Amino acid sequence: MDRRHFLLAALGLPAIAAAAPWPARADDTIRLRDLYNKDLSFSGYALEREGERVSISGYMAPPLKAESHFFVLTNRPLAVCPFCETEAQWPDDILAVYCKRVIEVISFNTRIVTRGKLELGTFTDPETGFVSRVRLADAVYERA
Amino acid sequence: MKSALIASLAVAFSTGVALAQELPQKDSKWFTDAQAKIQEMVARQPNTKRAKNVILFTADGNGVGTNYAIRLFSGQQAGGLGDDYVQPQEAFPNLALVKTYTTNGQTPDSAPTASAMNTGVKSKNTMINVDESVSVSDCAGMAGHELKTFAEIVSENGKSVGVISTARITHATPAGVYAKTVNRDWEDNSRLPEGCTNQKDIAAQLIDQMKAGVIDIALGGGRGHFIPAEVTDGEGKTGKRTDGQNLIEAAQANGAQYAWSDEDFAKLTLDGSPILGLFESSHMKYEADRSGEPSLAEMTAASIKSLQSNENGFYLSIEAGRVDHANHDGNGYRTLTDGKAFADAIALADELTNDEDTLIIVTADHEHAISFNGYCGRGSPITGLCYDIDDAGVKHTEEPLKGADGKPFTVIGFLNGVGSVLKEDKQWTGSRPELTNDEAMDKDYIQQALIPMSSETHSGEDVAVMAKGPWAHLFDGVIEQNYIFHVMNYAVNAE
Ligand SMILES: [Zn+2]
Repeated sequence: MDRRHFLLAALGLPAIAAAAPWPARADDTIRLRDLYNKDLSFSGYALEREGERVSISGYMAPPLKAESHFFVLTNRPLAVCPFCETEAQWPDDILAVYCKRVIEVISFNTRIVTRGKLELGTFTDPETGFVSRVRLADAVYERA
Repeated sequence: MKSALIASLAVAFSTGVALAQELPQKDSKWFTDAQAKIQEMVARQPNTKRAKNVILFTADGNGVGTNYAIRLFSGQQAGGLGDDYVQPQEAFPNLALVKTYTTNGQTPDSAPTASAMNTGVKSKNTMINVDESVSVSDCAGMAGHELKTFAEIVSENGKSVGVISTARITHATPAGVYAKTVNRDWEDNSRLPEGCTNQKDIAAQLIDQMKAGVIDIALGGGRGHFIPAEVTDGEGKTGKRTDGQNLIEAAQANGAQYAWSDEDFAKLTLDGSPILGLFESSHMKYEADRSGEPSLAEMTAASIKSLQSNENGFYLSIEAGRVDHANHDGNGYRTLTDGKAFADAIALADELTNDEDTLIIVTADHEHAISFNGYCGRGSPITGLCYDIDDAGVKHTEEPLKGADGKPFTVIGFLNGVGSVLKEDKQWTGSRPELTNDEAMDKDYIQQALIPMSSETHSGEDVAVMAKGPWAHLFDGVIEQNYIFHVMNYAVNAE
């Protein structure tokens, strides 16, 4: 169980409505990192739950384009150093999230929980060219 | 001379003993340890031999504050309270505080700081090994303003040169060893402005310096800057070059061994022949996430073994490049695990070399906006909560200290960064969240920060330089960063 998610939920912190009614059960939320082993192969959890609806917490990276149905979930807020980076470098352990509706942007440093159908395998987004290894389809999300 | 010295030692010892006998605290371990330290200091002799080898260790972004946190982390990982732990470099005999400002920056970036250490002069932020009269990105204006590097100087004197980083090998600190550029971001040709002919991109300069025999070993990340956009590397990532050049193949054609994984790395022949190791498309992994690539200590050991085949000696620059990145991320855990990996590399380098002929310098290029809360009791976990001092004992109580808002706080905080409690989607307002020690000690926890920024910043605060070996005693007091070059240069040329 995600202790932080449980704690914040228990405290009744505001959860702004996502694009669709929130169907998640708090007790089955995992962290994004739980989809991967250290060598970046898929974890047992990911392999077992492929094709099922799962609930995953992380951070919404600043969207690649406006009016998108798609965002990238990261383990930690995606910090960029203007002095250190010539361009944003995506971490390897990310999750592409495809939502039912156009996304409402949540600050990149606010923890969210997203729920959708887990898909594994390489996929290139036809619109953005973004290549993902693991995705959530038909997803909804809210602040953790 | 020698007998005078012995006589003065005898006076010092007897004074110490006489003093101790009269004091009620004379049997305290604090007292006897400090007495032993006095004897060690009195007996200390400077090493005035010529340095055959120079090893310059830089942990990027590891100022006095960050180093303090790494000390506590390493000590607590070893089962202690943390503060009394001694990192290998902290046992070195000589130390100075380093002023890191640049000619135009109160707060430096890693380009001019590397430049200062490699050329002996300060210069502008963003620029590497080009003098301060040139403006950033002024390719046309740089001609004739390139500076000569320590690597070029010692190479002319027959020494071998190695450069290691856990960041991209084209990143500022390692680039300071071999490149001259008016913009640190010009890591491959796609970043170089149209019509810029006075310099090549940084990756191309590394390969040129390997061909010229200046650089013998280069190990780090940044593979993408060496291969064309049409080429996919062994890890499935495409290159960044738009000129079609495959610089890895060019290096191999010139006789360099090439490695891109830990398996390749283990097969390298360490006989002094040129080696190019590029273990990630971009930066190498944080130590906490490392898989399939060598550690900083392993790269250090392999480089020293290979460079030692040159009887004229070597210059080796070793950077823990991602202490900086984890600080930028506001993630205390990875800052400290990479800092411990840095210390492990230092310990191994010390073990593999001789203090008589090898000058080892351990420093940082700059500090960060990291800061520390109080008043924590001893043993408060450095990545966790600040617990109250136990008035009746040594270790902290079980009571976390709280702010006026009634919420606990961590030992480490940041003045700015992604951990800001002020949120954009709340019109830059906010409050500190509730926090347990388990949450704070999670490896992905981001410490709380004040000013919201997409990346935590460097700071202009001092860093330390710690050294041992020939002429290490020239480090003393508060120094300018460019002085580090002068100590290295003096040590390798001393008669
Ligand atoms: Zn930095």
